[in-house]
Amino acid sequence: MTTHAEPLQHISVVTPSKKGRYSPLFLLWMVGLISALGIGLVCGLHVLINGLGVTNLNNALPWGLWITLDLSSIALGAGAFTLSAAVYIFGMKQYEAIARAAVLVGLLGYSSAMLALFIDIGRPDRFYHPVIYWNVHSVLWEITMCVVLYSTVLVMELVPIVIESTFLRKYKLAMSISHRLHSLMPLVAVFGMGLSLLHQSSLGATYGILTARPFWYSPSAPVLFILSAVAGGVALTLLVTLLTGKLLNKQMVPDNIITGVARLVGFACLAYLYLKLWSWAATNYYSHVPDKELGAEILAQNTPYNFTFWFGEVLFGALVPAIIMLWGRMRRNRNLLMLGAFMIIVGLVINRWNMTLSGFVIPMDWSPGVREVFPINTYSPALVEWGIAIGIVAYSWTAFTLGVRFLNLYPEARTIRKRRAVVVTDTTVTTMTEAPIIATMVGDDNPEEPIMSVETSREEKIVSLIEEDETPPDEGGEEQGI
Amino acid sequence: MNDHPQQPENLPIEVEETDEQALITRRELITLLVGAGATMVMAATLSDPIANLANDILGNRPKPEESDYHWVMVIDLSKCIGCDYCVYACQATNDTTPDMRWNIRIEDETPQGDIFHVTRPCLHCKHAPCVSVCPVGATYTRPDGLVMMDYDKCIGCRYCQTACPYGARSFNWYARNDENPLVPEWGRPEVPRRPRGVVEKCTLCVQRIDYGLANNLTPGVDPEATPACVNICPVTARYFGNLKDPNSTVAKIINSKPTLRLREDLGTEPSVYYIPPEGLL
Repeated sequence: MTTHAEPLQHISVVTPSKKGRYSPLFLLWMVGLISALGIGLVCGLHVLINGLGVTNLNNALPWGLWITLDLSSIALGAGAFTLSAAVYIFGMKQYEAIARAAVLVGLLGYSSAMLALFIDIGRPDRFYHPVIYWNVHSVLWEITMCVVLYSTVLVMELVPIVIESTFLRKYKLAMSISHRLHSLMPLVAVFGMGLSLLHQSSLGATYGILTARPFWYSPSAPVLFILSAVAGGVALTLLVTLLTGKLLNKQMVPDNIITGVARLVGFACLAYLYLKLWSWAATNYYSHVPDKELGAEILAQNTPYNFTFWFGEVLFGALVPAIIMLWGRMRRNRNLLMLGAFMIIVGLVINRWNMTLSGFVIPMDWSPGVREVFPINTYSPALVEWGIAIGIVAYSWTAFTLGVRFLNLYPEARTIRKRRAVVVTDTTVTTMTEAPIIATMVGDDNPEEPIMSVETSREEKIVSLIEEDETPPDEGGEEQGI
Repeated sequence: MNDHPQQPENLPIEVEETDEQALITRRELITLLVGAGATMVMAATLSDPIANLANDILGNRPKPEESDYHWVMVIDLSKCIGCDYCVYACQATNDTTPDMRWNIRIEDETPQGDIFHVTRPCLHCKHAPCVSVCPVGATYTRPDGLVMMDYDKCIGCRYCQTACPYGARSFNWYARNDENPLVPEWGRPEVPRRPRGVVEKCTLCVQRIDYGLANNLTPGVDPEATPACVNICPVTARYFGNLKDPNSTVAKIINSKPTLRLREDLGTEPSVYYIPPEGLL
């Protein structure tokens, strides 16, 4: 009988960040985020007290910015299920180096979406009704149930990380909970993947099943939603990982993991593009269904839809990033890789906005005569809508910043101490002038940390180009959970 | 049993167990059992809705509760003069504001260029998109064909507004504290105002229908049991009644005259029929 009661040895110990070591940049960042949170709070109270009449929404266009926000943040949270599935279902254990961050990003995405929905529904006091009153025919009911259950899954995945990284690890009970949860992970991951596959695509079905709106009614919408979610969700995880590494001057995850993740994103982009172009060709190019054609004309004349579709969603939202992710030479440039991931995220948000608005802008014509009776609908979000959106985004950025600082999100993070390029060719390590440094998540400059030789990835052609510049990291904005 | 004979048993390091060493470990067994138990509990809880869903997918839908009534309205577009009386009577009786009218009128024209007026209450579709999309079942179809709203369930997500092909649903964007200027000239409110944050729509004056049936009146014939918009029409362009009664006016019209329903291509099967104007159809 093997007993499992011994204290766990495999958990890496994290030295808590040194007190009083907050850089001015970090403080400025936090002050900015907290002000944004304040704006969001004030706007949120305004809406809760005075009702949705204060928005620019109306009966002809009842969904707007907030729906775009929660569609986007759920999609951008999809990195969690993709990478958890890789680790726990497909046995690619090495991806645990990035899966923890993906879980946090996922939970923040889902909680942002739930916050946005809480404000967006007319009766926030009844937010729990879908759990009690079931309409199994409704895709929105299914989405609500899946989002609630999947958020629970994400919390279960996050709790062990929180316990291991904080003072809670001193308590035996907490550690045993953490351990139990950890051993349940494969089961939880299967459950989570099922839930994610269901609701990520159902979000597309929310629009795709509506016969009333010909521009939405489409069998490809659910599949497009899940493909773009996989691309965008993993891209966001990749972006925040690289950006964090740049800001902390660390290598957060091994290079072969970055490579693998980037390639996954690239292939997801290609799959998305493939279906997207065929879907467009079938409904807009090879056919002339009157309703659809009229809708396309209305959009072309009244909105920047065509431009944003071709440039925002297709070219810069999927095609160019796919090239960056898949072409080794470009991928190895970490700045370019970050730009590529950022473009995918922006493309996804544009897609969700276009998807939501296109169906509403085109009026529904139910009158039997020939006159064009119904006006084209227009919408631009009210200030209070922007305020709440900013507040919700700030919430997820704040939580991620704190997560990076206080949780052991990147178990294989290494401090970059010397400027040097390590070149590893093919399967063998040829040159390595001086071994780079491994330090667990300790302070940035801790010279007394033990110096160990790097455990290089075996199959990598060329591993790392450790960033050469030590200029202050750019504040490009931590794109997170839009 | 000892899976690791090569190591001393009191080694304080937890040993990774691999597939080669044991068919199934205790932990895996417990995990499996817990998982199976949870699945069974879930299955027991979900069995009813899942059975319903399966029946639906397989086409074995349970027969909807039979009713002797199917309430329909017939609107004669060739008679309508566009006076808006039905709009105002509805607004007073159901106490709505001008921007959330349950019954509206628009002006349209035939291919020959003749102007005609279309008034549109809620069409009470047989396959109502609003009913199937509502996440909480706050909108539902009664056995007599009426599509109803449960204001106590509605969470105000507005998906039904998005799904309705006819724009027949209004949301309560504000809390109401206005005075209805059409009261009492055009009628008196017969239903309470709806709270802020829920969706509402035409009920075909269900309060009158139910009152009429309980008092041996015939909806569509006796004015107390007939929708306000039908009663007030100065040119008798609106008819109301029970389609399942072959002697009702509406059944006679629908069975003898060519009628149209709005957006029949969508397969919603509305309960409101229109007699087309000259030159249309």
